[in-house]
Amino acid sequence: MHIQPFGDKALLVSFEKKIDPEINQQVINLYHTLKASAKFTFLTPAYCSLTVGIDRSRFTINEATELIKELASQPPTNQSVYVREFTIPVCYEGDFAPDMHEVSEITGLDPKEIIALHKAQEFRVYMLGFVAGFAYLGTLPDQLACPRKKTPRKSVPQGSVGLAGHQTGIYPVNAPGGWQIIGQTPVQMFDTTREEPNLLFAGDKVKFRAISEDEFKLILLKEETGIYHTEAKHG
Amino acid sequence: MDNLFKIKILKPGLFSSLQDLGRVGHQDAGIPFSGAMDKEAHKIANELLDNPHATPTIEMTLCGAELEFEGVGQIAITGADMNAKLNDKPMPMYQTIDIKSRDRLSFHRVESGCRTYLAARGEWSGTEWLSSFSTISNLLKVDGIPEQLQSNQSIEIRTSNFIEQRTYPKTARPIYTSSYILRVVTGPEFEQFSIDQIQSFFDKVFEVSADSNRMGYRLKGAIKDYKPLREEISSGIVEGTVQVTSAGEPIILAADAQTTGGYPRIANVVTEDLSIVAQMKAGDEVRFMLVGLADL
Repeated sequence: MHIQPFGDKALLVSFEKKIDPEINQQVINLYHTLKASAKFTFLTPAYCSLTVGIDRSRFTINEATELIKELASQPPTNQSVYVREFTIPVCYEGDFAPDMHEVSEITGLDPKEIIALHKAQEFRVYMLGFVAGFAYLGTLPDQLACPRKKTPRKSVPQGSVGLAGHQTGIYPVNAPGGWQIIGQTPVQMFDTTREEPNLLFAGDKVKFRAISEDEFKLILLKEETGIYHTEAKHG
Repeated sequence: MDNLFKIKILKPGLFSSLQDLGRVGHQDAGIPFSGAMDKEAHKIANELLDNPHATPTIEMTLCGAELEFEGVGQIAITGADMNAKLNDKPMPMYQTIDIKSRDRLSFHRVESGCRTYLAARGEWSGTEWLSSFSTISNLLKVDGIPEQLQSNQSIEIRTSNFIEQRTYPKTARPIYTSSYILRVVTGPEFEQFSIDQIQSFFDKVFEVSADSNRMGYRLKGAIKDYKPLREEISSGIVEGTVQVTSAGEPIILAADAQTTGGYPRIANVVTEDLSIVAQMKAGDEVRFMLVGLADL
Protein backbone atom coordinates (compact mmCIF):
# COMPACT_ATOMS: atom_id res chain seq x y z
CA MET A 1 0.00 0.00 0.00
CA HIS A 2 1.41 3.34 -1.08
CA ILE A 3 -0.10 6.69 -0.07
CA GLN A 4 0.65 9.89 -1.97
CA PRO A 5 -0.91 13.37 -2.16
CA PHE A 6 -3.38 13.78 -5.03
CA GLY A 7 -3.88 17.51 -5.55
CA ASP A 8 -4.04 19.53 -2.33
CA LYS A 9 -7.17 18.03 -0.81
CA ALA A 10 -7.04 14.31 -1.58
CA LEU A 11 -4.76 11.33 -1.17
CA LEU A 12 -4.30 8.43 -3.55
CA VAL A 13 -3.82 5.03 -1.93
CA SER A 14 -2.31 2.65 -4.50
CA PHE A 15 -2.00 -1.10 -4.35
CA GLU A 16 -0.14 -3.35 -6.81
CA LYS A 17 -0.97 -2.09 -10.33
CA LYS A 18 -2.94 -5.09 -11.52
CA ILE A 19 -6.53 -6.04 -12.27
CA ASP A 20 -6.89 -8.83 -9.76
CA PRO A 21 -9.76 -9.82 -7.44
CA GLU A 22 -7.55 -10.06 -4.34
CA ILE A 23 -5.95 -6.67 -4.89
CA ASN A 24 -9.38 -5.14 -5.57
CA GLN A 25 -10.64 -6.73 -2.33
CA GLN A 26 -7.89 -4.87 -0.43
CA VAL A 27 -9.20 -1.63 -2.01
CA ILE A 28 -12.77 -2.49 -1.02
CA ASN A 29 -11.75 -3.42 2.55
CA LEU A 30 -9.95 -0.12 3.01
CA TYR A 31 -12.89 1.73 1.40
CA HIS A 32 -15.32 0.24 3.96
CA THR A 33 -12.95 0.95 6.86
CA LEU A 34 -12.45 4.59 5.84
CA LYS A 35 -16.13 5.03 5.10
CA ALA A 36 -17.06 3.71 8.56
CA SER A 37 -14.62 6.19 10.16
CA ALA A 38 -16.60 9.10 8.61
CA LYS A 39 -13.44 11.22 8.66
CA PHE A 40 -13.08 11.79 4.90
CA THR A 41 -15.01 13.96 2.46
CA PHE A 42 -15.31 11.40 -0.37
CA LEU A 43 -13.97 8.00 -1.41
CA THR A 44 -13.49 6.75 -4.97
CA PRO A 45 -12.56 3.07 -5.06
CA ALA A 46 -11.11 1.83 -8.37
CA TYR A 47 -9.45 -1.41 -9.61
CA CYS A 48 -6.28 -1.10 -7.51
CA SER A 49 -6.47 2.36 -5.95
CA LEU A 50 -8.60 4.39 -3.59
CA THR A 51 -8.92 8.18 -3.83
CA VAL A 52 -9.58 9.71 -0.43
CA GLY A 53 -10.96 13.26 -0.03
CA ILE A 54 -9.47 15.31 2.80
CA ASP A 55 -11.12 18.19 4.62
CA ARG A 56 -8.10 20.48 4.92
CA SER A 57 -9.72 22.44 7.73
CA ARG A 58 -9.57 19.21 9.81
CA PHE A 59 -6.35 17.51 8.72
CA THR A 60 -3.04 18.31 7.10
CA ILE A 61 -1.95 15.97 4.30
CA ASN A 62 0.50 14.32 6.71
CA GLU A 63 -2.09 13.85 9.44
CA ALA A 64 -4.51 12.31 6.93
CA THR A 65 -1.78 9.97 5.65
CA GLU A 66 -1.04 8.77 9.20
CA LEU A 67 -4.75 8.35 9.90
CA ILE A 68 -5.23 6.15 6.82
CA LYS A 69 -2.23 4.02 7.82
CA GLU A 70 -3.63 3.60 11.31
CA LEU A 71 -7.13 2.72 10.08
CA ALA A 72 -5.73 0.33 7.45
CA SER A 73 -3.95 -1.68 10.13
CA GLN A 74 -7.27 -2.48 11.81
CA PRO A 75 -9.19 -5.66 10.87
CA PRO A 76 -11.75 -5.25 8.02
CA THR A 77 -15.23 -4.05 8.97
CA ASN A 78 -18.29 -6.31 8.75
CA GLN A 79 -19.33 -4.42 5.63
CA SER A 80 -16.44 -5.72 3.56
CA VAL A 81 -16.95 -9.32 4.67
CA TYR A 82 -20.62 -9.12 3.67
CA VAL A 83 -20.90 -10.08 -0.02
CA ARG A 84 -23.92 -9.18 -2.11
CA GLU A 85 -24.70 -11.48 -5.04
CA PHE A 86 -26.98 -10.34 -7.84
CA THR A 87 -28.48 -12.13 -10.81
CA ILE A 88 -29.12 -9.76 -13.69
CA PRO A 89 -31.56 -10.93 -16.40
CA VAL A 90 -30.31 -10.15 -19.92
CA CYS A 91 -31.96 -10.57 -23.30
CA TYR A 92 -29.18 -11.51 -25.74
CA GLU A 93 -31.49 -11.53 -28.78
CA GLY A 94 -32.19 -9.40 -31.86
CA ASP A 95 -32.03 -5.62 -31.51
CA PHE A 96 -30.87 -5.94 -27.91
CA ALA A 97 -27.58 -7.36 -29.18
CA PRO A 98 -26.44 -5.12 -32.07
CA ASP A 99 -22.80 -6.26 -31.85
CA MET A 100 -23.38 -10.00 -31.44
CA HIS A 101 -22.33 -10.55 -35.06
CA GLU A 102 -19.13 -8.48 -34.70
CA VAL A 103 -18.20 -10.20 -31.43
CA SER A 104 -18.82 -13.52 -33.13
CA GLU A 105 -16.41 -12.57 -35.94
CA ILE A 106 -13.74 -11.31 -33.53
CA THR A 107 -13.89 -14.25 -31.14
CA GLY A 108 -14.68 -17.01 -33.64
CA LEU A 109 -17.48 -18.17 -31.33
CA ASP A 110 -21.10 -18.50 -32.39
CA PRO A 111 -23.73 -16.48 -30.46
CA LYS A 112 -24.83 -19.54 -28.44
CA GLU A 113 -21.26 -20.05 -27.20
CA ILE A 114 -20.87 -16.34 -26.44
CA ILE A 115 -24.05 -16.31 -24.35
CA ALA A 116 -23.11 -19.55 -22.60
CA LEU A 117 -19.70 -18.15 -21.62
CA HIS A 118 -21.13 -14.79 -20.52
CA LYS A 119 -23.71 -16.33 -18.20
CA ALA A 120 -21.58 -19.18 -16.92
CA GLN A 121 -19.35 -17.12 -14.71
CA GLU A 122 -19.76 -15.07 -11.59
CA PHE A 123 -18.30 -11.60 -12.14
CA ARG A 124 -16.93 -9.14 -9.65
CA VAL A 125 -17.82 -5.43 -9.60
CA TYR A 126 -14.33 -3.92 -9.57
CA MET A 127 -15.36 -0.28 -9.57
CA LEU A 128 -17.93 2.30 -10.66
CA GLY A 129 -17.15 5.18 -12.96
CA PHE A 130 -17.49 6.61 -16.47
CA VAL A 131 -21.09 7.68 -15.81
CA ALA A 132 -23.05 7.53 -12.56
CA GLY A 133 -23.71 3.92 -11.67
CA PHE A 134 -21.64 2.31 -14.45
CA ALA A 135 -20.21 -0.91 -12.99
CA TYR A 136 -17.01 -2.39 -14.42
CA LEU A 137 -17.28 -6.18 -14.14
CA GLY A 138 -14.52 -8.69 -14.64
CA THR A 139 -12.87 -10.78 -15.59
CA LEU A 140 -14.00 -12.14 -18.97
CA PRO A 141 -12.40 -15.40 -20.12
CA ASP A 142 -9.74 -14.89 -22.84
CA GLN A 143 -12.03 -16.44 -25.48
CA LEU A 144 -14.58 -13.67 -24.94
CA ALA A 145 -12.17 -10.73 -24.69
CA CYS A 146 -12.61 -8.28 -27.57
CA PRO A 147 -11.52 -4.70 -28.35
CA ARG A 148 -13.85 -1.72 -28.14
CA LYS A 149 -15.62 -0.65 -31.34
CA LYS A 150 -13.44 1.44 -33.67
CA THR A 151 -16.04 4.19 -33.77
CA PRO A 152 -17.92 4.64 -30.51
CA ARG A 153 -21.70 5.00 -30.68
CA LYS A 154 -23.15 8.45 -29.97
CA SER A 155 -25.74 6.88 -27.73
CA VAL A 156 -25.91 3.39 -26.27
CA PRO A 157 -29.35 2.61 -24.77
CA GLN A 158 -29.79 2.28 -21.02
CA GLY A 159 -29.43 -1.32 -19.82
CA SER A 160 -27.12 -2.37 -22.66
CA VAL A 161 -24.64 -5.06 -21.68
CA GLY A 162 -21.27 -4.67 -23.35
CA LEU A 163 -17.80 -6.13 -23.64
CA ALA A 164 -14.49 -4.23 -23.71
CA GLY A 165 -11.17 -5.98 -23.33
CA HIS A 166 -11.53 -8.42 -20.44
CA GLN A 167 -14.36 -6.39 -18.92
CA THR A 168 -18.11 -6.51 -19.18
CA GLY A 169 -20.43 -3.71 -18.08
CA ILE A 170 -24.01 -2.45 -18.05
CA TYR A 171 -24.95 1.05 -19.24
CA PRO A 172 -27.02 2.57 -16.40
CA VAL A 173 -28.24 5.47 -18.57
CA ASN A 174 -28.20 6.33 -22.27
CA ALA A 175 -24.59 7.30 -22.91
CA PRO A 176 -22.05 7.43 -25.71
CA GLY A 177 -19.66 4.51 -25.75
CA GLY A 178 -17.61 1.99 -27.65
CA TRP A 179 -18.35 -1.24 -25.80
CA GLN A 180 -19.50 -4.19 -27.92
CA ILE A 181 -23.17 -4.62 -27.05
CA ILE A 182 -24.33 -8.25 -26.77
CA GLY A 183 -27.54 -7.83 -24.81
CA GLN A 184 -29.76 -5.61 -22.69
CA THR A 185 -31.23 -5.84 -19.20
CA PRO A 186 -34.63 -4.40 -18.30
CA VAL A 187 -33.39 -3.88 -14.72
CA GLN A 188 -32.89 -0.27 -13.59
CA MET A 189 -29.22 -0.21 -12.66
CA PHE A 190 -29.45 3.41 -11.60
CA ASP A 191 -32.54 5.30 -10.55
CA THR A 192 -32.37 8.82 -9.16
CA THR A 193 -35.70 8.40 -7.37
CA ARG A 194 -34.29 5.61 -5.18
CA GLU A 195 -32.68 6.49 -1.86
CA GLU A 196 -29.63 4.51 -3.01
CA PRO A 197 -29.62 5.26 -6.75
CA ASN A 198 -27.07 2.54 -7.59
CA LEU A 199 -27.95 -1.12 -7.72
CA LEU A 200 -24.32 -2.29 -7.76
CA PHE A 201 -21.31 -1.24 -5.68
CA ALA A 202 -17.67 -2.20 -5.91
CA GLY A 203 -17.14 -5.62 -4.34
CA ASP A 204 -20.55 -7.03 -5.35
CA LYS A 205 -20.83 -10.30 -7.30
CA VAL A 206 -22.93 -10.54 -10.47
CA LYS A 207 -24.24 -13.41 -12.60
CA PHE A 208 -26.19 -12.98 -15.81
CA ARG A 209 -29.31 -14.97 -16.70
CA ALA A 210 -30.58 -15.24 -20.30
CA ILE A 211 -34.19 -14.16 -20.82
CA SER A 212 -36.55 -14.02 -23.79
CA GLU A 213 -37.94 -10.81 -25.30
CA ASP A 214 -41.25 -11.55 -23.58
CA GLU A 215 -39.64 -11.84 -20.18
CA PHE A 216 -37.71 -8.64 -20.89
CA LYS A 217 -41.00 -6.81 -21.50
CA LEU A 218 -42.56 -8.31 -18.37
CA ILE A 219 -39.64 -7.28 -16.12
CA LEU A 220 -39.58 -3.82 -17.73
CA LEU A 221 -43.28 -3.44 -16.92
CA LYS A 222 -42.63 -4.53 -13.33
CA GLU A 223 -39.76 -2.01 -13.06
CA GLU A 224 -41.96 0.77 -14.41
CA THR A 225 -44.72 0.01 -11.94
CA GLY A 226 -42.29 -0.42 -9.05
CA ILE A 227 -43.07 -4.06 -8.30
CA TYR A 228 -39.84 -5.63 -9.58
CA HIS A 229 -37.66 -7.33 -6.97
CA THR A 230 -33.97 -7.59 -7.72
CA GLU A 231 -32.72 -11.16 -7.80
CA ALA A 232 -30.18 -10.95 -5.00
CA LYS A 233 -28.60 -12.95 -2.23
CA HIS A 234 -26.90 -11.34 0.72
CA GLY A 235 -24.58 -12.98 3.13
CA MET B 1 -39.61 33.40 6.47
CA ASP B 2 -42.46 35.72 5.61
CA ASN B 3 -41.05 37.51 2.61
CA LEU B 4 -41.38 35.74 -0.74
CA PHE B 5 -39.01 36.85 -3.50
CA LYS B 6 -39.19 35.37 -7.00
CA ILE B 7 -36.66 35.36 -9.82
CA LYS B 8 -38.38 34.80 -13.15
CA ILE B 9 -36.12 33.74 -16.04
CA LEU B 10 -37.18 35.69 -19.14
CA LYS B 11 -34.26 34.45 -21.24
CA PRO B 12 -31.79 31.93 -19.83
CA GLY B 13 -28.73 33.12 -21.78
CA LEU B 14 -26.15 30.84 -23.39
CA PHE B 15 -25.81 28.31 -20.56
CA SER B 16 -27.19 29.13 -17.14
CA SER B 17 -27.73 26.69 -14.31
CA LEU B 18 -28.36 26.48 -10.59
CA GLN B 19 -25.21 25.57 -8.65
CA ASP B 20 -24.18 25.08 -5.05
CA LEU B 21 -21.29 23.15 -3.49
CA GLY B 22 -22.29 19.95 -5.28
CA ARG B 23 -22.36 16.29 -4.24
CA VAL B 24 -19.06 15.62 -2.53
CA GLY B 25 -19.26 12.17 -0.92
CA HIS B 26 -21.12 10.23 -3.63
CA GLN B 27 -18.13 9.44 -5.83
CA ASP B 28 -18.13 5.78 -4.74
CA ALA B 29 -21.37 5.54 -6.77
CA GLY B 30 -19.69 7.16 -9.78
CA ILE B 31 -21.60 10.42 -9.25
CA PRO B 32 -19.71 13.58 -10.33
CA PHE B 33 -18.81 16.30 -7.81
CA SER B 34 -20.92 18.96 -9.63
CA GLY B 35 -21.35 22.38 -8.00
CA ALA B 36 -20.22 25.88 -8.95
CA MET B 37 -17.20 25.93 -11.27
CA ASP B 38 -15.86 29.10 -9.60
CA LYS B 39 -16.51 28.24 -5.94
CA GLU B 40 -14.76 31.37 -4.74
CA ALA B 41 -17.07 33.69 -6.72
CA HIS B 42 -20.06 31.57 -5.63
CA LYS B 43 -19.07 31.86 -1.95
CA ILE B 44 -18.35 35.61 -2.10
CA ALA B 45 -21.76 36.25 -3.70
CA ASN B 46 -23.43 34.41 -0.82
CA GLU B 47 -21.26 36.15 1.79
CA LEU B 48 -22.37 39.54 0.46
CA LEU B 49 -25.90 38.47 1.47
CA ASP B 50 -24.97 36.66 4.68
CA ASN B 51 -26.14 33.36 3.16
CA PRO B 52 -24.52 30.01 4.01
CA HIS B 53 -21.97 28.96 1.32
CA ALA B 54 -24.17 26.02 0.34
CA THR B 55 -26.99 28.33 -0.82
CA PRO B 56 -27.46 28.00 -4.60
CA THR B 57 -26.48 30.70 -7.07
CA ILE B 58 -27.28 31.07 -10.75
CA GLU B 59 -24.14 30.33 -12.77
CA MET B 60 -24.13 32.01 -16.19
CA THR B 61 -21.66 31.26 -18.96
CA LEU B 62 -20.26 33.73 -21.54
CA CYS B 63 -23.60 35.42 -22.22
CA GLY B 64 -25.99 35.92 -19.34
CA ALA B 65 -29.71 35.80 -18.65
CA GLU B 66 -32.58 38.28 -18.58
CA LEU B 67 -34.56 38.19 -15.37
CA GLU B 68 -37.52 39.82 -13.70
CA PHE B 69 -38.07 39.93 -9.94
CA GLU B 70 -41.30 39.66 -8.02
CA GLY B 71 -41.41 40.95 -4.46
CA VAL B 72 -38.59 42.69 -2.63
CA GLY B 73 -35.23 41.06 -2.10
CA GLN B 74 -31.47 41.42 -2.02
CA ILE B 75 -29.02 40.14 -4.62
CA ALA B 76 -25.31 40.22 -5.44
CA ILE B 77 -23.30 39.40 -8.55
CA THR B 78 -19.70 38.18 -8.72
CA GLY B 79 -17.33 36.55 -11.18
CA ALA B 80 -17.07 37.65 -14.81
CA ASP B 81 -18.35 41.10 -15.79
CA MET B 82 -21.39 40.65 -18.07
CA ASN B 83 -22.38 44.33 -18.11
CA ALA B 84 -25.32 43.73 -15.83
CA LYS B 85 -28.08 46.32 -16.14
CA LEU B 86 -30.82 46.82 -13.57
CA ASN B 87 -33.78 48.49 -15.29
CA ASP B 88 -31.38 49.52 -18.08
CA LYS B 89 -28.93 51.19 -15.68
CA PRO B 90 -25.48 49.69 -15.04
CA MET B 91 -25.51 47.55 -11.91
CA PRO B 92 -22.39 47.33 -9.74
CA MET B 93 -20.85 43.94 -9.01
CA TYR B 94 -19.52 42.59 -5.71
CA GLN B 95 -22.01 44.35 -3.44
CA THR B 96 -25.43 43.87 -1.88
CA ILE B 97 -28.17 45.35 -4.06
CA ASP B 98 -31.77 45.95 -2.97
CA ILE B 99 -34.43 44.87 -5.46
CA LYS B 100 -38.05 46.00 -5.72
CA SER B 101 -40.89 44.15 -7.37
CA ARG B 102 -40.89 44.24 -11.20
CA ASP B 103 -37.21 45.20 -11.39
CA ARG B 104 -35.55 43.76 -14.47
CA LEU B 105 -31.97 42.58 -14.58
CA SER B 106 -30.19 41.79 -17.81
CA PHE B 107 -26.75 40.33 -18.43
CA HIS B 108 -24.86 40.56 -21.71
CA ARG B 109 -21.68 39.11 -23.22
CA VAL B 110 -18.71 38.78 -20.88
CA GLU B 111 -16.20 41.62 -20.94
CA SER B 112 -13.57 39.26 -19.56
CA GLY B 113 -13.67 35.92 -17.79
CA CYS B 114 -16.31 33.27 -18.47
CA ARG B 115 -18.74 32.72 -15.59
CA THR B 116 -20.94 35.07 -13.55
CA TYR B 117 -22.76 34.23 -10.30
CA LEU B 118 -26.05 35.70 -9.13
CA ALA B 119 -26.95 35.16 -5.49
CA ALA B 120 -30.13 36.17 -3.64
CA ARG B 121 -30.60 36.50 0.10
CA GLY B 122 -32.65 33.75 1.74
CA GLU B 123 -33.65 30.13 1.43
CA TRP B 124 -34.12 28.82 -2.10
CA SER B 125 -36.79 26.28 -2.87
CA GLY B 126 -36.60 23.76 -5.68
CA THR B 127 -35.68 20.18 -6.47
CA GLU B 128 -32.65 18.78 -4.71
CA TRP B 129 -30.99 15.49 -5.47
CA LEU B 130 -28.54 14.02 -2.94
CA SER B 131 -28.76 17.30 -0.98
CA SER B 132 -27.75 19.51 -3.90
CA PHE B 133 -29.57 21.82 -6.31
CA SER B 134 -26.72 21.56 -8.82
CA THR B 135 -27.55 20.44 -12.32
CA ILE B 136 -26.09 17.20 -13.56
CA SER B 137 -24.28 16.57 -16.83
CA ASN B 138 -26.54 15.85 -19.77
CA LEU B 139 -26.17 12.08 -19.43
CA LEU B 140 -28.05 11.89 -16.20
CA LYS B 141 -31.65 13.02 -16.00
CA VAL B 142 -33.23 13.89 -12.67
CA ASP B 143 -36.88 14.94 -12.65
CA GLY B 144 -37.19 18.58 -11.67
CA ILE B 145 -33.52 19.43 -12.34
CA PRO B 146 -33.16 20.56 -15.94
CA GLU B 147 -29.59 20.71 -17.23
CA GLN B 148 -30.04 24.42 -17.93
CA LEU B 149 -32.43 27.06 -16.67
CA GLN B 150 -35.44 27.48 -18.95
CA SER B 151 -37.39 30.54 -20.10
CA ASN B 152 -40.36 31.30 -17.82
CA GLN B 153 -38.93 29.20 -15.00
CA SER B 154 -39.43 30.86 -11.61
CA ILE B 155 -37.24 30.42 -8.56
CA GLU B 156 -38.74 31.12 -5.13
CA ILE B 157 -36.64 32.47 -2.30
CA ARG B 158 -37.86 33.10 1.24
CA THR B 159 -36.31 35.54 3.68
CA SER B 160 -37.18 36.75 7.16
CA ASN B 161 -35.04 39.89 7.15
CA PHE B 162 -32.67 42.02 5.14
CA ILE B 163 -29.10 43.06 5.84
CA GLU B 164 -27.05 46.23 5.63
CA GLN B 165 -25.26 46.70 2.35
CA ARG B 166 -21.92 44.86 2.09
CA THR B 167 -19.17 45.50 -0.43
CA TYR B 168 -16.31 43.20 -1.37
CA PRO B 169 -13.08 45.24 -1.48
CA LYS B 170 -11.98 46.23 -4.99
CA THR B 171 -8.40 45.21 -4.29
CA ALA B 172 -9.49 41.66 -3.47
CA ARG B 173 -11.56 41.19 -6.63
CA PRO B 174 -10.08 38.91 -9.30
CA ILE B 175 -8.86 40.35 -12.60
CA TYR B 176 -9.48 38.24 -15.66
CA THR B 177 -7.21 38.48 -18.67
CA SER B 178 -6.81 36.18 -21.65
CA SER B 179 -3.58 34.64 -20.46
CA TYR B 180 -3.22 32.65 -17.26
CA ILE B 181 -0.64 30.78 -15.22
CA LEU B 182 -2.05 27.89 -13.22
CA ARG B 183 -0.24 26.51 -10.20
CA VAL B 184 -0.08 22.72 -10.16
CA VAL B 185 1.33 19.99 -7.93
CA THR B 186 2.67 16.77 -9.43
CA GLY B 187 0.07 14.15 -10.32
CA PRO B 188 0.13 10.41 -9.57
CA GLU B 189 1.69 9.49 -12.94
CA PHE B 190 4.11 12.46 -13.10
CA GLU B 191 7.16 10.21 -12.93
CA GLN B 192 6.08 8.21 -15.98
CA PHE B 193 6.78 11.23 -18.16
CA SER B 194 10.31 11.81 -19.48
CA ILE B 195 12.28 14.92 -18.49
CA ASP B 196 11.77 16.28 -22.04
CA GLN B 197 8.03 15.74 -21.85
CA ILE B 198 7.81 17.38 -18.43
CA GLN B 199 9.86 20.31 -19.66
CA SER B 200 7.59 20.67 -22.66
CA PHE B 201 4.50 20.57 -20.39
CA PHE B 202 5.78 23.50 -18.32
CA ASP B 203 7.34 25.38 -21.26
CA LYS B 204 4.37 25.38 -23.57
CA VAL B 205 1.67 27.98 -23.85
CA PHE B 206 -1.51 25.97 -24.37
CA GLU B 207 -4.68 27.34 -25.91
CA VAL B 208 -8.10 26.65 -24.41
CA SER B 209 -10.12 24.66 -26.96
CA ALA B 210 -13.72 25.55 -27.83
CA ASP B 211 -14.51 21.97 -26.83
CA SER B 212 -14.37 22.91 -23.12
CA ASN B 213 -17.27 22.78 -20.68
CA ARG B 214 -18.23 21.99 -17.09
CA MET B 215 -16.78 18.49 -17.50
CA GLY B 216 -13.34 19.62 -18.51
CA TYR B 217 -11.07 22.05 -20.30
CA ARG B 218 -9.38 20.65 -23.37
CA LEU B 219 -6.12 22.35 -24.25
CA LYS B 220 -4.63 22.68 -27.73
CA GLY B 221 -0.94 22.02 -28.13
CA ALA B 222 0.59 18.59 -27.61
CA ILE B 223 3.43 17.74 -25.24
CA LYS B 224 6.57 17.14 -27.32
CA ASP B 225 7.20 13.57 -28.52
CA TYR B 226 4.45 12.11 -26.40
CA LYS B 227 3.57 8.46 -26.83
CA PRO B 228 1.43 6.71 -24.23
CA LEU B 229 3.41 3.99 -22.45
CA ARG B 230 0.51 1.62 -21.97
CA GLU B 231 -3.17 1.74 -21.17
CA GLU B 232 -3.57 2.92 -17.58
CA ILE B 233 -5.79 1.01 -15.20
CA SER B 234 -8.72 3.35 -14.44
CA SER B 235 -8.33 5.29 -11.21
CA GLY B 236 -9.90 8.24 -9.39
CA ILE B 237 -10.11 11.82 -10.61
CA VAL B 238 -10.47 14.98 -8.56
CA GLU B 239 -11.32 18.52 -9.65
CA GLY B 240 -8.27 20.03 -11.29
CA THR B 241 -6.66 16.74 -12.33
CA VAL B 242 -4.65 17.29 -15.53
CA GLN B 243 -4.77 14.20 -17.73
CA VAL B 244 -2.77 13.75 -20.91
CA THR B 245 -4.67 12.17 -23.82
CA SER B 246 -3.08 9.67 -26.19
CA ALA B 247 -2.45 12.59 -28.57
CA GLY B 248 -0.42 14.31 -25.85
CA GLU B 249 -2.93 17.06 -25.19
CA PRO B 250 -3.74 18.01 -21.59
CA ILE B 251 -7.31 18.07 -20.25
CA ILE B 252 -8.08 19.87 -16.98
CA LEU B 253 -10.96 18.04 -15.34
CA ALA B 254 -13.70 20.19 -13.86
CA ALA B 255 -16.80 19.99 -11.65
CA ASP B 256 -18.91 17.67 -13.84
CA ALA B 257 -16.08 15.32 -14.84
CA GLN B 258 -16.49 11.58 -14.51
CA THR B 259 -15.14 10.18 -11.23
CA THR B 260 -12.52 7.88 -12.75
CA GLY B 261 -10.33 7.94 -15.83
CA GLY B 262 -7.70 6.00 -17.68
CA TYR B 263 -5.28 8.65 -18.97
CA PRO B 264 -2.05 9.40 -17.06
CA ARG B 265 -2.47 12.20 -14.53
CA ILE B 266 0.54 14.45 -14.94
CA ALA B 267 -0.46 17.21 -12.53
CA ASN B 268 -3.21 18.70 -10.41
CA VAL B 269 -4.28 22.34 -10.38
CA VAL B 270 -4.24 23.67 -6.81
CA THR B 271 -7.67 24.34 -5.30
CA GLU B 272 -7.26 28.10 -5.17
CA ASP B 273 -6.56 28.24 -8.92
CA LEU B 274 -9.66 26.23 -9.87
CA SER B 275 -11.47 29.57 -9.73
CA ILE B 276 -9.15 30.77 -12.51
CA VAL B 277 -9.83 27.63 -14.57
CA ALA B 278 -13.56 28.36 -14.28
CA GLN B 279 -13.01 31.79 -15.81
CA MET B 280 -10.96 30.63 -18.82
CA LYS B 281 -12.65 30.58 -22.20
CA ALA B 282 -11.92 29.29 -25.70
CA GLY B 283 -8.86 30.99 -27.20
CA ASP B 284 -7.31 31.97 -23.84
CA GLU B 285 -3.69 31.08 -23.25
CA VAL B 286 -2.60 28.99 -20.31
CA ARG B 287 0.69 27.83 -18.81
CA PHE B 288 1.41 25.60 -15.86
CA MET B 289 3.72 26.35 -12.96
CA LEU B 290 4.91 23.64 -10.59
CA VAL B 291 4.60 24.33 -6.87
CA GLY B 292 5.21 22.10 -3.86
CA LEU B 293 2.43 21.13 -1.48
CA ALA B 294 4.42 22.79 1.31
CA ASP B 295 4.07 26.15 -0.48
CA LEU B 296 0.29 26.08 -0.24
